[in-house]
Amino acid sequence: MEREGIRERLASAASMPKDVVMGAAVTTVLGNTEVCIENYRGITEYTDTLIRVQSKTGQIRLAGKRLQIEYYTNDEMKITGEIHSIEYNGGRKAE
Amino acid sequence: MIRTLIRYLRGYVMIRVEGYSPERFLNLCSYHNFLIWGLTPSGNGYEMYMSIDDFRKLKPLAGKTHTKVRLIGRCGFPFFVQRYRHRKFFFAGVLLCFVLLKVYSLFIWDIHFEGNVRWTDENLAKYLESVDVTPFMLKSKVDCPGIVKNIRKAYNDIVWVSASIDGSLLKIQVKENDDTLQEENTDVAEERTPTDLVAEKSGVITEIVTRAGVPQVHAGDTVEAGDVLVLGRVDVMNDAGETTGYQYVNADADILADTQMEYEDSMSLVYQEKVYDGKEKFQPFLRVFDLCISVGSIRNSYSNSEIFTSETRLKAGETFTLPVSLGMRTACSYSFEQKEYTEAEVQEILTKNFRRFCADLEEKGIQIRENNVKIQLYDNSAAASGTLYLNEEIGEEADTEILTIERKETDESVGTDN
Repeated sequence: MEREGIRERLASAASMPKDVVMGAAVTTVLGNTEVCIENYRGITEYTDTLIRVQSKTGQIRLAGKRLQIEYYTNDEMKITGEIHSIEYNGGRKAE
Repeated sequence: MIRTLIRYLRGYVMIRVEGYSPERFLNLCSYHNFLIWGLTPSGNGYEMYMSIDDFRKLKPLAGKTHTKVRLIGRCGFPFFVQRYRHRKFFFAGVLLCFVLLKVYSLFIWDIHFEGNVRWTDENLAKYLESVDVTPFMLKSKVDCPGIVKNIRKAYNDIVWVSASIDGSLLKIQVKENDDTLQEENTDVAEERTPTDLVAEKSGVITEIVTRAGVPQVHAGDTVEAGDVLVLGRVDVMNDAGETTGYQYVNADADILADTQMEYEDSMSLVYQEKVYDGKEKFQPFLRVFDLCISVGSIRNSYSNSEIFTSETRLKAGETFTLPVSLGMRTACSYSFEQKEYTEAEVQEILTKNFRRFCADLEEKGIQIRENNVKIQLYDNSAAASGTLYLNEEIGEEADTEILTIERKETDESVGTDN
């Protein structure tokens, strides 16, 4: 907790990108059909209505219809389909 | 697009991963930097595409995650080749196609001319052939500057030439000199023997304009054919008025005279007309070099027949003629039918002939003053006859042969005087 706080403050003070310093996931949403996620750890669940992606700071939940992963590499994934919601579930404490 | 093409060329597979935790398998894949695309959940597993190279390294991953990897599809060029590897002729054909394309593009297939008006394409093509520039020659042997030089040398009135190779086409652009005065070689200084002008026909002189020589007649004189009109010999006089010598010239004058000409034209009232009875025989043929292949025959038992032959030589492009021609021989049967002209038709034909005759005369610069040509009809013939009164040039050149004798005499007299 303490460490995270320091990091966050350091990042804002030095105006450094948080995805590098804190390992925050970068989520780029294009309309409601395309989502690009970078800086994640892995998939924890994948069905055509729900995708859960684990990132360093927490979990991202994508709910929708006909969800498909276009590509999946070590540093980037692209999800297409009809996206209904994107949720961020806490940090590590929540797990 | 490009990525899809590269994927296709390198080949990829579709696999299905099933097991306790396929997600872990996916994460391991991404950890090892295996590219996965088209990932879809199906049942309790996933289906995805991956490159062949990555697929070969999957075994330890599958073991570690206790998942089962099944290959369900092979896509891409390597698999395509593999599938059709026994069709040797297909691949040979593809290869041959490329080879032929390359070989054929080494040759000039056609010559195209542009800008030529006075010199026809055929003419220029023939000339180029004489300097060994023909279709189906190697492109590398075409010497464009040489062609340009040759054409400029051979054709004086072509003022600009450009030769270029456009694919398999040799393009020759020329510019002809539009305003060349085609000067006839009138000023050829050739030694000519002195000449007189004599009357070509009998008639009455109406006008005489002499440019060289001594006129012998005046306007109003009546002359006979053969009379000397202008003498090509000019007397050289001394102070006493005696002739001391002669100068010889080519007599030149415009001499117009009224002349007469008899006109007569006759025709038979009865004539035979060709009547085609529609019976025809056809013989199409194909000629390759000197070999002629034909279908059918035009041998016939017609009493009278005409044979038409038409032949078209095949061309590839504009100037490259193939030694192949297609043609058709046709035999038409006909018979004669006796017919008779009506009076009006006869009048018309004879009048037409006469008009044509007059037009020909006028074209030669002969003026028709008057005519009394009349048409007469007889039992089975008709005639147009009469006299034409003309005004025409009657001077005709003739050598002055007798002059040499006279000259000798004068030479002697001149000699004694001195």
